[in-house]
Amino acid sequence: MKGLSYLFLYVPIVLVILTVLETCRSDDPVKILKRSFANFGVLTAVLIGGGAVVYLINRFL
Amino acid sequence: MNSRLEWKVVLGAVIVLTVIIAALAKEGERRRAAAFLLAWMLPGAGHVFLGRWKKGLSLLALMGATYLFGAWIVGFRAVSFDDNPFYYVGQYGSGATFLLAQILGVEKAYPRQENPGWFDPGLLYVCVVGLLNLVLMINTLDLKLAPAPAAVPAATVAAPAPGAAPNPAPPSGPPPAPGTTA
Repeated sequence: MKGLSYLFLYVPIVLVILTVLETCRSDDPVKILKRSFANFGVLTAVLIGGGAVVYLINRFL
Repeated sequence: MNSRLEWKVVLGAVIVLTVIIAALAKEGERRRAAAFLLAWMLPGAGHVFLGRWKKGLSLLALMGATYLFGAWIVGFRAVSFDDNPFYYVGQYGSGATFLLAQILGVEKAYPRQENPGWFDPGLLYVCVVGLLNLVLMINTLDLKLAPAPAAVPAATVAAPAPGAAPNPAPPSGPPPAPGTTA
């Protein structure tokens, strides 16, 4: 698990990127945070889903 | 590439862009060009210059923390060309990171002993700050500027003709209802 600890660095960098992009769109801090976290959730879900599909294809096909 | 030549090329490119933006901007919006140049020098400085100081300082704190975290991972060394040429060029997006890269970049970055696997993400953190600053620079061109104080044109204030009776003051509000006392 220690060898994969770098995967946790995905969380802060993606949150920073999404927050900066949302800051360019909006002036309301609450809206910026809400949208950043929502986009982070969607992005992470897509990433995990895609990873699972690739894993299943490699495992069973 | 020679370090002095890099400085001249990058700074020259940013100044040329600033001059082009100033030439293309409308009258009264030329300060966007100065904000563009300031935004390159320091993340968030352009927003502060245009009056969005809260947003500018928040962005500076966010980008500064990201840069410091990345620099800590790679042992407070900047990304060198040998580490990753793409990440190296990404640092040019901000004058502050570019300056730090020139100062710190004498020695090559090295992986930390405790987490050698973090080395490449650390370089990415340092690079992303420069790339995100490009977005902030473009955003300064899109911000709404505060309206300049409008001068009252002299033609709209017509002087009354000599001898003319002054206009009665218009009634303010609805007439009082019958039965009410003033």
